[in-house]
Amino acid sequence: MKNLTNSLTFIFVLIGLNSCFAQDINPKFTQAIKNGLDQVATAKNAEDYIKAENYFERIASVETKEWTPSYYAAYCNLYAGFNTADKDLKDQYWDKALQEIDKADALKANNSEIYALKGALQFMKMTIDPRSRMYFINDSAESLEKAKALNPENPRIYLIQGQDTFYTPEAFGGGKGKAKPILESAVAKFAIFKPANTIEPNWGAESAKALLTQCK
Amino acid sequence: MQSFKLTLLFVFCFTLAKAQIKISGVLKTAKGIPVANANISLKSSYDGTSTDSTGRFAFTTTETGMRILQFSALNFDKDSVQVNLDHGNIAINLTIKEALNVLQTVSISAGSFIAGDGKKGAILNSLDIATVAGSRADIFAALQTLPGAQTSFSESGLFVRGGSASETKTYFDGMLVKSPFNATVPDQASRGRLSAFLFKGTSFSAGGYSAQYGQALSSALVLESTDLPEKTTTGISILTVGGGIDQNIRFKNSSITVGGYYYNLSPIYSIIKQNHDYVKAPEQLGGNIQYKWKTSATGMFKIYASYSRTNLSLYSANIDTPSVPKYFSNHNLNIYVNSTYKQYFGDRWKLETGVAYNKDRDAGLMTINEYSRQDHLLEGKVTLTKSFSQLSNFKFGAETFNTGRLESLNGLSRKYDDQVSSGFAETDLFLTDKIVIRLGMRAEYSSYLQKYNLAPRSSLGLKTSAHSQISFAYGRFYQNPEDEYLIIKPLGFEQADHFILKYEINTPDRNFRIEGYYKDYNRLTKLNNGTPDNTGSGYAKGFELFWRDKKTIKNADYWVSYSFLDTKRNFRDFPIMATPSFAAKHTVSVVYKHFIESLNTQFGGTYTFASGRPYVNPNNPVYLADKTQSFNSLSINVSYLTHLFKQFSVLYLNVNNVPGFNQVYGYQYSANGLNRQALVPAAKRDFLIGIMITIGDNTFVR
Repeated sequence: MKNLTNSLTFIFVLIGLNSCFAQDINPKFTQAIKNGLDQVATAKNAEDYIKAENYFERIASVETKEWTPSYYAAYCNLYAGFNTADKDLKDQYWDKALQEIDKADALKANNSEIYALKGALQFMKMTIDPRSRMYFINDSAESLEKAKALNPENPRIYLIQGQDTFYTPEAFGGGKGKAKPILESAVAKFAIFKPANTIEPNWGAESAKALLTQCK
Repeated sequence: MQSFKLTLLFVFCFTLAKAQIKISGVLKTAKGIPVANANISLKSSYDGTSTDSTGRFAFTTTETGMRILQFSALNFDKDSVQVNLDHGNIAINLTIKEALNVLQTVSISAGSFIAGDGKKGAILNSLDIATVAGSRADIFAALQTLPGAQTSFSESGLFVRGGSASETKTYFDGMLVKSPFNATVPDQASRGRLSAFLFKGTSFSAGGYSAQYGQALSSALVLESTDLPEKTTTGISILTVGGGIDQNIRFKNSSITVGGYYYNLSPIYSIIKQNHDYVKAPEQLGGNIQYKWKTSATGMFKIYASYSRTNLSLYSANIDTPSVPKYFSNHNLNIYVNSTYKQYFGDRWKLETGVAYNKDRDAGLMTINEYSRQDHLLEGKVTLTKSFSQLSNFKFGAETFNTGRLESLNGLSRKYDDQVSSGFAETDLFLTDKIVIRLGMRAEYSSYLQKYNLAPRSSLGLKTSAHSQISFAYGRFYQNPEDEYLIIKPLGFEQADHFILKYEINTPDRNFRIEGYYKDYNRLTKLNNGTPDNTGSGYAKGFELFWRDKKTIKNADYWVSYSFLDTKRNFRDFPIMATPSFAAKHTVSVVYKHFIESLNTQFGGTYTFASGRPYVNPNNPVYLADKTQSFNSLSINVSYLTHLFKQFSVLYLNVNNVPGFNQVYGYQYSANGLNRQALVPAAKRDFLIGIMITIGDNTFVR
């Protein structure tokens, strides 16, 4: 009997180590998202971001009730576009990102984070050909306003707005001076922001600080 | 011992279950090109990987049994194969199919020039049109810098590929605009009535256009209005010729725009010498109202209504009796209403309906004769579009309009009324993403002419590489003769056949196109001893080049168009087949725009050249055999973006014909043929200064 107990203990230890029979699926999912975020953290070029995006896509295809995999896939595509010179490709990455963000929205309606990222993507779509895509500015502003209405304490909204303003020429209503107060509120909101759990969006604090220092 | 065995068994089973299978291979296209960064995954598991730059992949899994291996990549169709994980490692080579790339899909393009905001195939956008130097934000003037269009300053309208101005029709959200131009002064072109800023898309077609558009022999100008404005804003413009104010009010799902303007040219005419001696310089007062309502996620209702009054009177030189200059006065009234409703049903059907009304009245004195002229058009239109497979669609619809003219001279009046009803059907059939065929048919009946016509239209697009395509179009086009002839008596439809061949290369920053065409005109209106009939005919052939580059020079954008035109016709009062006075053989336009960030200023320049145009010299026995000198024009504009009273503002300057080139459009001869006078622009040089202020928005966008 003791042997049996020992054996069982041994087995349970093994199971525990392998964690493949885990009843609760969440730890595995949570860990997978964390692994993905580690990939994102070390991504250096468009290729790395696409690989991370592929990874999140694989999770999304299994976890059909979770919004974060699609959200992060969109996030990866946003950065893949930033790291690409080819305008056609940028356009495609960001189109795909918009599809992914819509997918996230369908799984989790009225989420401030989703609309904030959507606003960022729409703004970037505009930058590909500003003269003929001005309407994306409207779309972007609408998404960011919605994100703000859903959670005015979401610091990423202010980071995105600050970034957009920072890179818009002064003649068109942008510039460092105008970006500064927005980025200041972003930094302030980042300081007190607590994500709902370990896998929900919690990026951008460093970017906000870095951009703010450039505003002098 | 027993239990130990059990344990071993467990451990064994367990290890077996957790045995790692390695799946590896290469992903390639059917042509054997490796696909990088593709996503390889085992369905219903997190397991998978991305391919490397040589298309290779390898990953391990602990799954077992028959599973599905999926693979996907940007611009490729997602695909999968079944794999059995029970027999050890798997090495597998995968082939993936290229997907339709909308950006690189073939399009219907022969004859057309699309200017739109972010629209596929768009070569120019609305702002590009509005900021062409010399155009002063007039759509029609800006389009004269595109290939196929002639430069014209003594007659309103677009003269396209050997066609007269009446052969170009303007459509506002699909509805025909009968009188798109402002009141005219004799021998001077006038501006279009519709502001360039009303529209988000402009499609200028120099031939071979869709069966949706009828009553145009040469060209269709299709204008698509903007949707809801983003914000509530006020716009104020102060110009050297007058000013305007408009108010946008944005509600959640709708918007109202109310605007008014007043122009008076007398102050500027006192500075810039005019060729005519004005008694009353043109004075215009007008207003418009727009309401837009987003009825659902996919539905939109729009109504636009405008009203304007213009007064002017002048003396112009009388070549026959120089001591008695000719008097001309005009009081113009124009009303235009356009209302449309668009709605998608499911993801397959689209309904578009519209009603439009246009009334244009001119009245005044010509020397001592009292004249009046009133044109009207009331139109209704319904179009249904069904899309099928990925890209193809089928479109059909009907329209009917009541049109006509009432004119009088010294109390004697005459009029005509016509009900033109038409039906059309058209399909854009994508055989693959590289081949598209458009087949269309349009049928019209005119109650006044008591005649039918049947016009086939066809177009073919063939993608030759990722960025290039060849297009071909053939179409037959009919239109009613001009009002001035119809009012005399009913005639038959005028007719033109277009054959177009085009090659183009389009990248996001550069466009090149070359297009050749042949047009066969028949049944044109001709005067035989003062009585019109349909015995006229003619042809036009030529080719055009276009090059646009937004990349080579930083912050600069330029385009160059060249048009070669060989045309002859025997129509109106021509005694023989001849090249009409509105046709120049060679036309070149160069448009340049440069934004200098440090100055917040955009500079623009437009140079236009046209070879000499024929004119009628009664002393030359050969009709239309003389030619004017060639035409040159250089215009510049400067837009300075700034803030006035903390509101976003643009300071604007436009100067036409900066070097003061001598510009002659043709000559008028005295009745005895001994004297002549040149048809020249209203003024040698012309300038316009303006300030536009936007209140309620700190960005450039309104």
